[in-house]
Amino acid sequence: MPANMGTDIMRFARLEMAEVEEFHVEGFARTVDHLRGPSGAVRAGALMTMLDSAGGVCGGLASLPDGWVVTTNMFARRVSLEPTGPLKIDARILRKGRNSVVATVEIGDAASGHLVLDGVLTSAILVPEDGPPVWERPMRMVPPDDFVPMAIDEWVGASVVDATTLEMPMRDTLRNPWGILHGGVTAALVDLVTEHATGGVCTDMVLHYLAPNRVGPVTAHAEVLGERSDGTVLRVEVRDLGADRVTAVAIATAAVVSEPPSWA
Amino acid sequence: VRLRRYLRCVRTLMDYPPARHLLRDLRLHFEHDDGPRSRAWMPVVPEICDDDGAVRAGALAILVDVIGGGLAARVAQPDWIATADLSLHCTAPATRGEVEARGRVLRSGRTTQVLEVTLHCESARVGIATMSFSVLPRRASNPDMEDVNAGTSGPSTMALPESRLDAPLEALAGIEVIDAAQGIVELPVREWAMNSMGALQGGVVGVVVGAAAEAALRAASGEPLVVTDLQLTYLSFGKVGPLRTRTDVLALGDGHGTARVTLTDDGAEARRMTSARVIASKALS
Repeated sequence: MPANMGTDIMRFARLEMAEVEEFHVEGFARTVDHLRGPSGAVRAGALMTMLDSAGGVCGGLASLPDGWVVTTNMFARRVSLEPTGPLKIDARILRKGRNSVVATVEIGDAASGHLVLDGVLTSAILVPEDGPPVWERPMRMVPPDDFVPMAIDEWVGASVVDATTLEMPMRDTLRNPWGILHGGVTAALVDLVTEHATGGVCTDMVLHYLAPNRVGPVTAHAEVLGERSDGTVLRVEVRDLGADRVTAVAIATAAVVSEPPSWA
Repeated sequence: VRLRRYLRCVRTLMDYPPARHLLRDLRLHFEHDDGPRSRAWMPVVPEICDDDGAVRAGALAILVDVIGGGLAARVAQPDWIATADLSLHCTAPATRGEVEARGRVLRSGRTTQVLEVTLHCESARVGIATMSFSVLPRRASNPDMEDVNAGTSGPSTMALPESRLDAPLEALAGIEVIDAAQGIVELPVREWAMNSMGALQGGVVGVVVGAAAEAALRAASGEPLVVTDLQLTYLSFGKVGPLRTRTDVLALGDGHGTARVTLTDDGAEARRMTSARVIASKALS
């Protein structure tokens, strides 16, 4: 495994996490200005990255010593587009089975306590080749100090293919401990293509991971399914072009905002 | 005790579905092939529609659950499956004729399956749904899909000549609104709405959760909102009853709202059955 593998996730999201009790992980994102979108609110892609990280670690710790986890899907609903932050993340286990674990994750404004995003993350329990990771308990993680703020599209390295498609290269620093593209990065790409295809802001995402992104480049293609009073509903298909396969499918909703997004 | 449970399971399976059951009364019909795809149809009747004459999200969830569960079970054989979650996004109203559900397998792995179901009415797409399943080792009490499928390739239906809905879907499921503003509804576990495991059918969970969220969001907004999206995470079966919802209104926007609903089996020490996020909007057009 390259020495820099996965380091960009914690560095970018500025997420610190601590295990406060069994089946309960709390996180803080104290520096969020670089994560904001055109409306001033923290972008859905950044929130989903936090959901995936906190919910994943919470599920992983609950799965020890039998194995570790890989995310299979995320359901999330953005409930506020206010320019909030810093953020508090609260992840708790809803159910732990033999093969899977379900965590509920709430992300709220740390000062007011108002809910920003409500979601659920489901993970499969697998046994890594070298055995489950060893953690010092209670777990505590802090982001690296060498932080260079950058916008989410720059972090992902997304480029425009056409009016409804974006592409990003695979970088080792965006891989998770399994060596595949971090689930939060995939969610960030879905968020970006949702905004790119509609000019709106992603408020709702159902994301199913179907296969790992290992080779790259990775594309996300959006198809508009319908218009409603709360926004445009899209289906997004993510592909690993190097492996020639579909790796994720998302259903997202994009709300219209008064200011045009920076990505449009 | 184990023998009694086993015999009860066998009896339930042999009699499933009974003559009066939602799978018959909805007059669903199916067309299976040997591949990873299935289609099903549900007639649009007033008993499953809202005030504007469009099929309710909860009824669509039943159609999705039935076609998705059947397809996943066939693909998983000889193993068995348990539904882990279901999402539904409605994009246009289904108001006449039949709703057609087209299901296909997106992923079929050793421990999980993911399906996508698109919904169509009169040649227009009206919604999209996803489901995921845990793949489990077969137990003696699980139906053998090879037996179930024997002789049923091509068109099939469970409807009997006399099958029909004679009351609104929510009433037939036994849903009683206890406190609309709080989004509290209750229901018993009736044979009419059970799955083959003797628990509340997964799609009916969508009906219950939708009824609770819609009541709370209508009370909070003062607008006749209707459910457009369901995100259901199944945690355990509801087998005892009464089943009861708890609802939190999370957000209200211009003509739409979001609620979180928790469904518990109060007869089983209030065990949490389902965690759900629900969106309701002005009627789709």
